[in-house]
Amino acid sequence: MNQLALIIDHEACWGCLACEVACKQENNAEPGIKFIRVDQEIVREKNGKPFFSFNVNTCRHSECEGTPCVDVCPTDAITVRADGIVVMNEDDCTGCNLCPRMCPYDAIVINDNALVTQKCNLCYHRVDNGLIPACADNVCLAHCIYFGDPRDIRPLIEGRRSVRDRI
Amino acid sequence: MVEFVYSNVDREMEAYGFDSVTRTHCRMCHGGCGALVYTKNGKVEKIAGDPESPIGHGTLCSKGLASAQLAYHPDRLLHPVRRIGRKGSGKWQRISWDEALDAIAEKMLGYKQSFGAESVVLGYGTGRENEAVIYRLANLFGTPNVLTAGHLCYGPRIATGIITCGSNPVVDYENKPKCVMVWGNNLVIANSDEYKGEDLSVCLDAGAKLIVVDPRLTRLAARADIWLQLRPGTDAALALGMLNHIIANELYDKAFVEGYVHGWEPFVARVREYPLDKVARITGVPEEQIRAAAHGYATTKPAGIQWGVAIEQQINCADNNRLLMALMGITGNIDRQGGQVLFKTPKIRNVGKFGAHDMLPKEQIAKRLGGDRFRLAGNFAIQNPKCIWDAIVTGEPYPVKMLFFISSNPVMTRANAGDVYRALQKVEFMAVADFFITPTAELADIVLPAATWLEMDYIGDFWKRHGYILPRRKVVQIGECRSDHEMLNDLAHRICQGEHWWDDFEQGLDYILEPMGITWQDFRKMKFVRGDVTYEKYKTRGFSTPTGKFELYSTLLEKWGYDPLPNYTEPVEGPVSTPELHREYPYILVTGARSPGYFHTENRQLPWLRELQPDPFLEIHPDTAAKLGIHDGQWVVIESPRGKVRQRAKLFGGIRPEVVGAQHAWWYPDKNMKGQYWNESNINILTEDSYESCDPAMGANSVRTLLCRIYPDPDQSDRCGGNASGMQTGDRA
Repeated sequence: MNQLALIIDHEACWGCLACEVACKQENNAEPGIKFIRVDQEIVREKNGKPFFSFNVNTCRHSECEGTPCVDVCPTDAITVRADGIVVMNEDDCTGCNLCPRMCPYDAIVINDNALVTQKCNLCYHRVDNGLIPACADNVCLAHCIYFGDPRDIRPLIEGRRSVRDRI
Repeated sequence: MVEFVYSNVDREMEAYGFDSVTRTHCRMCHGGCGALVYTKNGKVEKIAGDPESPIGHGTLCSKGLASAQLAYHPDRLLHPVRRIGRKGSGKWQRISWDEALDAIAEKMLGYKQSFGAESVVLGYGTGRENEAVIYRLANLFGTPNVLTAGHLCYGPRIATGIITCGSNPVVDYENKPKCVMVWGNNLVIANSDEYKGEDLSVCLDAGAKLIVVDPRLTRLAARADIWLQLRPGTDAALALGMLNHIIANELYDKAFVEGYVHGWEPFVARVREYPLDKVARITGVPEEQIRAAAHGYATTKPAGIQWGVAIEQQINCADNNRLLMALMGITGNIDRQGGQVLFKTPKIRNVGKFGAHDMLPKEQIAKRLGGDRFRLAGNFAIQNPKCIWDAIVTGEPYPVKMLFFISSNPVMTRANAGDVYRALQKVEFMAVADFFITPTAELADIVLPAATWLEMDYIGDFWKRHGYILPRRKVVQIGECRSDHEMLNDLAHRICQGEHWWDDFEQGLDYILEPMGITWQDFRKMKFVRGDVTYEKYKTRGFSTPTGKFELYSTLLEKWGYDPLPNYTEPVEGPVSTPELHREYPYILVTGARSPGYFHTENRQLPWLRELQPDPFLEIHPDTAAKLGIHDGQWVVIESPRGKVRQRAKLFGGIRPEVVGAQHAWWYPDKNMKGQYWNESNINILTEDSYESCDPAMGANSVRTLLCRIYPDPDQSDRCGGNASGMQTGDRA
């Protein structure tokens, strides 16, 4: 079966944050709760000049090795589907907050108001209707968020990078 | 296996049970990007990009995506109101549209009779596709006074473009320039006149060389082949240096220069006054970098210069624009495919015609405030704001009695905000049309509820020079809100202009489209109309200037009493021009760097956008912060000789240690306080607006090149800011 995830071409990201708002419009997460988050990295030297890039962070789904959040959850609120989507079922979450600590990607958020943890469920309600997740559905001006099977998409991103750096 | 398709409209409709989808285009900035608006039970439920849009190609920015939060915001003004307490008291009474427009009409006619039409000033802010209708009303009324942002934003590009080469040269991204020089523009965040920068992004992904001129490290600068981190305000010197290198090394297009340029020899003599060693000293950019950038731009064909507003908000405004056009021209990139094109608008009644500029009598034109002082601006019906404030406060050269601002918040956006506020407090009568009771609207007598882009039919991109027009289709009606066009059409009938207007504004749209032989009903079924795309038009028709040539030496500026050749002037305040002041205020302050989600003063009320950046921030180099004992995220006071405000420190290694960068247009509508903390973080409290500090031809304010001092605010409370935890962490010291 095809494995699904969001695959990001971080180098192409301009930091416009449209993906964050596209996610809000779809999932209406509370203020301060972000299922996808763009971080501006700290300025450092690269090739003798100041440099920074953006990093788009969210759950890795089928790309996450071992899915430690699933194992640590005492109520089995987190499950992995056959297509690799890692689903957090908030109804079964007791808010024990074990999973954010286990997540290697800092992609699980604690919602203190609702006393649950939340994360990107890869818009599976859209995916199951044949729709692309909100943040990846032709929103990004850099076209840097891909949805699909990472094995197909990684080579695409590599190809784009080699054209971009041609000159 | 399902096949996933981008922007799958049919499946969206089915999966969510939407009732309708409308193809239209957004106007959360200046407008243009195609949008699909889905509704359910008469309400906007989802907004997405339109993949068939020639602008944006289906992508949409944070602002566009959050538009429904603007349209349905609980604080939005949904009906006209009249102030019943004193100015700023926040006491309002609901009135009908008829009462509101009758009252405004009565004031306009009364002041016209007693003090002349010129005593009534209309105004708008940045370009929101309402310019032509506002000028039409003003010109037919007989007032030469329309206060816009045109003196320091886009207006200078139009004015200098027209006097130099007959129009505004726009980068031809569609034909993939091989080199782009981005100058004072962070378009992928700012969404300036070049939309979202999606086309630029695609060009860069196709391998185009990138040169960036910016005092701040943007992501564009980080990705650039060459980044020139100049001292703020020295753009003209840098451009002269690049021209010097190009001319000295004969990298220019000789055929273009010989056949199509006016004033080559005196121009070359001027450029020779700026050898690279001198330019390096002025700008702080090493000689070899200037040489590399000039060489890269001049020898990679075709090439475009993506110019931004930063070059306009300085004393060198007009000359910066002219020098960048000189670069475009002498390298042979003007009106070349893939270079910088003078696009043609479709055959419609354009903004100039619709704006009825030819209906304003000569004797009224002569009364344009500031028209004889800032003569380039004056000839394009553009004004410097202080000319208006002074007439209100002093009554000289004649009294201004009434202001009518449409989508404008000058208390937040014009230089020397304290003086702006005092003028608005003093003016006898003020009407405002806006989405909310803004800090400016708080001082009004009547406030009218303006429609968002979701609530209007209109012909979009009408005012820009990209060569497109696009139908904006009304999706919903919210409260009693009306578009600027509709309300002014209605007002026009009440001030005796009926014969020049229409029963319904749809007929106004027909009037704009008439030369194409179509009506609004025809146009609304179309995706867009594009003017003929042709290149190198000058070869057969010359340039639309007095000499018919590309005027490096401006015959019009000469006629108006200015230096016909561009030059470099030191910033009004700075280590070089005011060394004594510099000792007291040791940091160079640049202002107005954009952040995602906001558009000037707009959108701080919208939760999805406010959480992108809850507080304004001041970028400070970590070394400077360490020296001053300032920590990342701390509230700091920024102070100039005009006043002081507070913003949060963001430590950022991408700015020089002697420069700090503050954000503009911050107020706190969420606090429900009188005044809405208009002067708490408003950087224009610090900016200078004296006539001497403005560009002498254009009247542009030097809002990006001033001096300041900074120190930690002894009061670290979040008395009006958002939540520090939501703030993006800066670089550690």
